[in-house]
Amino acid sequence: MSLLRWVYGTRWVVLPPLAGVGVMVMIIGALVVAPREAIEGDVQRILYVHFPSILAAYLSFAIVFVASLVVLFKRDLRWDAAARAAASVGVLFTGITLGTGMFWGKPIWGVYWTWDARLTSTLVLFLIYVAYLLARAVADELDEQAARFAAVFAIIGALDIPLVVMSVEWWRTLHPQPIVFRGLERPALPNEMLFVLLVGFGGITLLALWLMTLRGEAERLAQRSAALRAGLDRNEVV
Amino acid sequence: MNAGLAVIMKDLRLAWRDRAGWTTAGAFAMIAVLVYSFAFDLAVGDPRPLLPGVLWTTFLFAGVFASGPTVQRETDEGTFDALLLAPVPPTVIYLGKAIANLIALLVIEFAVLAVATILFGIALLTTTIVGIVIVGTAGFVSLTTLLSTLGASTRARGMLLPVLALPLLIPLLLAAVRATGAALDVEPEAAPWSLLLGVFALWSALIATILFPLAVER
Repeated sequence: MSLLRWVYGTRWVVLPPLAGVGVMVMIIGALVVAPREAIEGDVQRILYVHFPSILAAYLSFAIVFVASLVVLFKRDLRWDAAARAAASVGVLFTGITLGTGMFWGKPIWGVYWTWDARLTSTLVLFLIYVAYLLARAVADELDEQAARFAAVFAIIGALDIPLVVMSVEWWRTLHPQPIVFRGLERPALPNEMLFVLLVGFGGITLLALWLMTLRGEAERLAQRSAALRAGLDRNEVV
Repeated sequence: MNAGLAVIMKDLRLAWRDRAGWTTAGAFAMIAVLVYSFAFDLAVGDPRPLLPGVLWTTFLFAGVFASGPTVQRETDEGTFDALLLAPVPPTVIYLGKAIANLIALLVIEFAVLAVATILFGIALLTTTIVGIVIVGTAGFVSLTTLLSTLGASTRARGMLLPVLALPLLIPLLLAAVRATGAALDVEPEAAPWSLLLGVFALWSALIATILFPLAVER
């Protein structure tokens, strides 16, 4: 526990350079190191951002879920700030995934958007967390009831995702089949591509964590300034 | 049990007397079906491919829009806080409200089905469709009741509720539309969609019953 706390304490020093270097290496890797894909050509290089981004988004939404549970059980507004920060980062990376997917889809599929199962479920995921951010944003920072309401919504949203995936999967499927996570089988990618993908995954995850740290601190500061303002209104010395 | 019944009776009486809530929702549902039939020209040709979508979007919108105003008054006048002070488990209060909402919405839906049967000349009040409507409505009312009750104290609640509820209800909408389509012979398979509908109803009822007491505890 104390080790975990120590690691957490170093985030302001460790995360910025690591995230910066990670993203730089990812860009160089994706543009220079990775070989040109035989059929799709250079467009395939979008994968090195597209796939790590959605993993970072999943990570963020997992954090939102856990933080929301803590808000509901412990009534601690610090976790509310964490959930909001993670949700905005998750929405950002889901947006990046959707956007990069569209730019890949235009030359490969011929259209920017198609109502494929995974595209649709990712879009629903995006909508759910945009709604979460809205639900939390309409109330002010220290409104505990609104924080609990948003937490309930985030929990339902997270538990809704399997149903969304199941329903749209039955509805239609077109997205390329998984090439990285295929159970016990080897990933269907050449080693260089897999290596660049791993670097990209590291870089994007670090970037996501760094953005979450910044956003979380901003939310905390907003909470504190709201508390100060409330205290001043009551003529208290805080 | 008695407390639950009391909550149901109180909410139903309110639903009947308060014209801003369910009565308006019923009128809205009727007009929506008319508007759809003009917009998609359902009167000409075979309306069956479009009808499930028309019915379910009407049901969803009517349900989501009505659940806002019904709790708004309760929160404004302090009834909800008073209910929570009563020596009854919050779960009972929640279930009472959800069942009252379910009954009110089902009445509207059956009326819509009856009117649509007359307007389009297609038998819609069959056992299968009534079953699908009951299960589907139970699925979404349990979620909208939870969200509207908890969100009643936040600002912008009227506009916010549809934005919150509709993305969550996409699996339900897909399943309900497909299952209804199968009942009208425009969809090949009914089994997976009826299953999904049932799973969604159980899932949402369970989650809402668990989360409600946690969320309202003071």
